[in-house]
Amino acid sequence: MKTTTPLSQVGFTVVDRRSFLRMIAAGAAVVGVPSLLTGCSTSSPNGTATGGGAGAGAVGDVIPKYIPVDFVKPDFPSVNGSVPGYLTLPKKFVQSVVKPPGSGATFKAMTPLWGTIPPTSGNQYYKAVNGMFGSTIEFQITDGNTYGDKLATVLASAKDVPDWVSIPSWVFPPRFGSEIVGNVFQDLTPYLAGDKVKDYPNLANIPSDAWKYCVWNGKLYGLPFPGGVLNDVIFYRNDLIEGMGITVDVKNGDDLLALALELTDAAAGRWGADDLWTPATIIHSVPPKWKLDGGKLVHRVECDEYRAALEWNAKLFASGAVHPDAVAGQTGDAKKRFQSGKTLIMGDGLGGWNEALRDNLASNPKYWQQPFDYFAADGGKPVLFKANSANIFSFLKKSDDKARITELLGLANLLAAPFGTTECDVITNGVEGVHYTKDSTGLPVPTPLAATELQPTYIFLVDGPVTETHVQYPGYVKAVSTWQAKNAAFVTDPLFFGQQISEPTQFGSLAQPFVDLEKDISRGRKSLKDLDVAIKTWKTSGGDELRAFYQKILDGQ
Amino acid sequence: MTLPAFVGRRRAPDPLHGGAAREAAPAVPVGKISWRTRVKADRSLLIMVVPAVTLLVVFAYVAMLGNVIAWENYSPYTGFVHSPFVAWANFARVFSNPLFLDAVRNTLSITAFQLVFFFPIPIFLALLLNSVMSPHIRTVIQSVVYLPHFFSWVLVVTLFQQMLGGAGLVSQTLRHHGYAGFDLMTNPHAFLVLITMQSVWKDAGWGIIIFLAALGTVSPELYEAAAVDGANRWRRIWHITLPALRPVILLLLILRLGDSLTVGFEQLILQRGAVGPGVSEVIDTYVYYQGVVNGDWGYSAAAGLLKGVVSLALVMGANKVAHLFGEAGVYQKA
Repeated sequence: MKTTTPLSQVGFTVVDRRSFLRMIAAGAAVVGVPSLLTGCSTSSPNGTATGGGAGAGAVGDVIPKYIPVDFVKPDFPSVNGSVPGYLTLPKKFVQSVVKPPGSGATFKAMTPLWGTIPPTSGNQYYKAVNGMFGSTIEFQITDGNTYGDKLATVLASAKDVPDWVSIPSWVFPPRFGSEIVGNVFQDLTPYLAGDKVKDYPNLANIPSDAWKYCVWNGKLYGLPFPGGVLNDVIFYRNDLIEGMGITVDVKNGDDLLALALELTDAAAGRWGADDLWTPATIIHSVPPKWKLDGGKLVHRVECDEYRAALEWNAKLFASGAVHPDAVAGQTGDAKKRFQSGKTLIMGDGLGGWNEALRDNLASNPKYWQQPFDYFAADGGKPVLFKANSANIFSFLKKSDDKARITELLGLANLLAAPFGTTECDVITNGVEGVHYTKDSTGLPVPTPLAATELQPTYIFLVDGPVTETHVQYPGYVKAVSTWQAKNAAFVTDPLFFGQQISEPTQFGSLAQPFVDLEKDISRGRKSLKDLDVAIKTWKTSGGDELRAFYQKILDGQ
Repeated sequence: MTLPAFVGRRRAPDPLHGGAAREAAPAVPVGKISWRTRVKADRSLLIMVVPAVTLLVVFAYVAMLGNVIAWENYSPYTGFVHSPFVAWANFARVFSNPLFLDAVRNTLSITAFQLVFFFPIPIFLALLLNSVMSPHIRTVIQSVVYLPHFFSWVLVVTLFQQMLGGAGLVSQTLRHHGYAGFDLMTNPHAFLVLITMQSVWKDAGWGIIIFLAALGTVSPELYEAAAVDGANRWRRIWHITLPALRPVILLLLILRLGDSLTVGFEQLILQRGAVGPGVSEVIDTYVYYQGVVNGDWGYSAAAGLLKGVVSLALVMGANKVAHLFGEAGVYQKA
């Protein structure tokens, strides 16, 4: 990631937990392959049923060829897919796009932003980037937390869609894969598939896993915002815990329960943990969606792992170690509670780490949070499922004008410039003397103008491969890089990894009872017997059909 | 409760009911004048009413045709003309889902509970406030009790969480003094009481406005006359104030019943995680989670229509009851 890292904003726990939960609640109704949907849904208009058309082979044909470029050698190279880290900024930047790709045209782009919306007129940051483009991008920026609401209305009218639209996966509207993507957005396969991407070297530098998520119906539609292999982590406030004279040594689920309880002192307004449901699923290796058991597909809610995670989380709640506001379901304030020391253990996206440092180091130079090394609940070897390699995508409006698409892809190529390039530096830091000045060590120090103008907006259109470059927080890059290198070893691909699968809408409501049960069982309002009943209902009201739907995809691979 | 007591009383023949009686009276006799003449005579009035009628037709009645999606497997990208027709399948799904029946049960119990413990409170408040003589103090009190109405539910729920939650002010104060804390916000058994408390805190003050207006129309002479006849304070309330309020109370009761299946979407959705859907799932949240979130519009529309039908039945029933008591209700046949 670049210096003003967006990773934190990609980590769903950071951005908007509620919308992400809503996505889960929606059964992640849009996870991909609508070509298959036609078999199950009578309402799919662009019915191009191609059987297992989204199988690995098919995806491999449409995604761009991976041609890596390395402008700067990382201090911490990638291990098992971990994010490479850089301890210093390069002395000299490389210009990766020599000639401005634009034709002087003006394009409209719609992006979310989790921050203060910058002024569009007289914005010197935009002016600088547009100068590199040779064209103009006019932004329509919307608050990230309500982005999905705006998006739904925009997408309902295909002709009013802006030229370039960013869509985070957690706000994919229902029927996105089956009805929207093909009707509204440009098929990029003819422009980028395989070797064709050579015209856009920075796009070719984006790893294949990220591109795989940009494929719907066997065609490449999206431009990715790449992510790392590890996303969900469990943080603890070791600055505070050490101060209490407690040594953290957690090797299994019981250790974590004991630690959470030990840290709890209600009278002092301090609780050991926030709601640890997501961490519970990690330490119990609950599959994200399905797992194979003897060649048979087993849904996550049917797995023993899921049951064990529920049981564990219920124990945690019953012990009284969870902050009452978290018990009351106030997830939005989880970070606030953690950063103010009211809770000492919480689950978050890995990107939340540098964001917490950004927000707290100024007022508390000793602030430090640390992720636990992964462990299995039973003390055995942990099994982690790889995070989606891209969670935010952008799409180009459908157009018959080839030159227009080529031009936009040229701009995308510039935006995807990796760490160590002039383009990346401008996009990340703005203009020297305007948005930042350099301190004695050569680190950019933002000016007050940067706070208003320099908001991360371009990155949501497309971004280069993910890197750790937060050199401004002492010790951070080393800590995060070594931690990742150590823990990436446990990562394994979940079933259906790298595939966008759109489930027919009729299955959409299947997930909600479990989202509710997860809360009910954790809080002791319901028992595991209720889970059995729910699974039975799930099977009869569509779960088995859903299994058949996925089996068909699996068979087609 | 006070309510049934005076609802059951015969209507008092006092001048206050003039208003209601006028509404009830049939309009000008129309049979003898020709249609054309009437249009001509009322031309300017009719023109004035056109914009309002157009708005109503376009945004209420034409929009209502969209309910056809309840019988379709509707997709907004296909349009309701081309979406496949599925007859009563959506309704069958609604009825066969046990969660829907739970939602209906929760909705009705919340309604019933609030009808008894929330609805009368603004009346009491209005009576109390009406007895405050100093207009200055009255204005101050009014402003104070109106204010919470303007807070959003997010704010109200947060405020309650910070006061009555497990880490709230009350609990922490108790803990500091060596007692055990408590957590009202996450107790499903106390949820009815909790949401009613929140509603009272937020909206009871606002609810007194109409009652106060009705009280303002009572002629002071009636009280004086009653006082001369030896009626004490209670007698005066019983025989003058409450009869004066009766039409308004009945009217609001009917409106409330018509609205009763809408028991506060935001308030409940905000506290769903805290107490679980077992007690907090109502028809509106059910429609949201089972239909809207998944883009299952046909199904949502079917569940929403059912809610509309039940609400209509409630209004009609309550209106009928009002007629039985000799009140005008919301409307009556010409």
